[in-house]
Amino acid sequence: MAGKSEQPPGSPDPSAKPPVHVGRRTMLGVLGLTGIGIVAGAKIDNALGSSLSAVSKAVGVPLPGGNQFQFYTITGSFPVIPADTYELTVDGMVREPLRLSLAELRSIKRTRLVHRFQCVTGWYVPDVPWEGVLLSDVLDRAGVMPEATALRFFSADGAYTESLTLSQAHLPDVLVADKMLDANVTSDHGGPVRLYVAPMYGYKSIKWLNRIEVTNKVVPGYWEDNGYPANAWIGGVAQ
Amino acid sequence: MTDAAGRSAVPRSDSPKATSPSAKLARFDLVERLVHWSMAIMMLTLIFTGASLYFPALAVRVGHRGLIENIHVITGLCLLGPVALALAGPWRKQLLMDLRRFDRWRPSDFDWFRSRSRRKGLARDKFNGGQKIEADFLGAAMVATLVTGVIMRFAPSSWITWATGATLVHEALFFGIVAAVLAHIAFALSKPEQLVSMFSGRISRAWARVHAAAWLSEVEASEIEASGVEASRTDPVPPV
Repeated sequence: MAGKSEQPPGSPDPSAKPPVHVGRRTMLGVLGLTGIGIVAGAKIDNALGSSLSAVSKAVGVPLPGGNQFQFYTITGSFPVIPADTYELTVDGMVREPLRLSLAELRSIKRTRLVHRFQCVTGWYVPDVPWEGVLLSDVLDRAGVMPEATALRFFSADGAYTESLTLSQAHLPDVLVADKMLDANVTSDHGGPVRLYVAPMYGYKSIKWLNRIEVTNKVVPGYWEDNGYPANAWIGGVAQ
Repeated sequence: MTDAAGRSAVPRSDSPKATSPSAKLARFDLVERLVHWSMAIMMLTLIFTGASLYFPALAVRVGHRGLIENIHVITGLCLLGPVALALAGPWRKQLLMDLRRFDRWRPSDFDWFRSRSRRKGLARDKFNGGQKIEADFLGAAMVATLVTGVIMRFAPSSWITWATGATLVHEALFFGIVAAVLAHIAFALSKPEQLVSMFSGRISRAWARVHAAAWLSEVEASEIEASGVEASRTDPVPPV
């Protein structure tokens, strides 16, 4: 306690102890812990994540660091699309525009990968099993014209859009996914079919995917119009 | 105000307008009330939008993620605006004095955390220990959520490790802030006179005698000082 007395020395008032600056200490303490949390939080999260997520599941409330999915929709609702009427349109600069039913999509060579879902705002879910077909295989089937350079993705919600360059779309961990967490993709997660772009932040993995347009220009998607980068590599650089 | 001797009395924001000792005490001035209510509205907006972004069950119901996020971010950036404005001009005096009270704890503030019976005779400051710790925590938490929120929303995407840490802290603070705000509202609703004083700015002397005796004697001392100038024409200033 380095607070200086506000009473003159030899003051007769016995209650003249200098005040304790609890407010200042609280501020410094909270900000100090915040600083430690910012710098070391990801490590703490890694170390405690599995136990926290167990607790989180048990109490039914997402806890900080609990590594649980958050459910995003940019419209007022979560579109529910019956699997038997679902269609994926692939059009634009392609030799043969496609309209694929879920069964037709599933007949393409299937790929499974286990990878984290990382949100750009910081939360993530580690080791998520994803299953579907490679985006590049879908594009090969439609036959992309040589002058095409980019893709636009559309969502059944009528509002969510995304973009990739053609070279990004050909990466071996970019899936048109119909299964995640070892089950069909639910409506909340963007089912029956969503994109999963493993090397990029979650907003690139468009939900309720129903149309892929092949173009020669990257058109920024919904979140990119809201200030997030189009080249959304996790960590800022392509891995 | 100038007295007969030509000395000007220093206007005091915390001395009552009426000199009658039965008049109510000025507890919060207009600046403080404006700060309180504007921040209260923003805080409730932040809690509601934050909960809608955080809890899956609410997120699924509310939707409109982009809109909710923008409301949350803009409100968060503005939250400390009223305090900053209030401290930026000569109207800051009383707010600054009360912020100092939140910062500076006297022994009676620590003793307030004792059991109900043992804290009975304490001559309390304008705010008790519980009110002070809540104000201190909320103040610190507001700054910390601002810092972590800015990192979450505006940091370059290469800072993802820090964004994860900032998210963790931001979420943990959310729970602390909600607890503090709920407690604050519950106490306010259970103490009508104090609640009303956040609208009217004034509170009875009887309340202060019981709940803030140390503050009451400060106010009375300054009243005597202020009226003593007038009184000295007929009577000597009574010993304090």
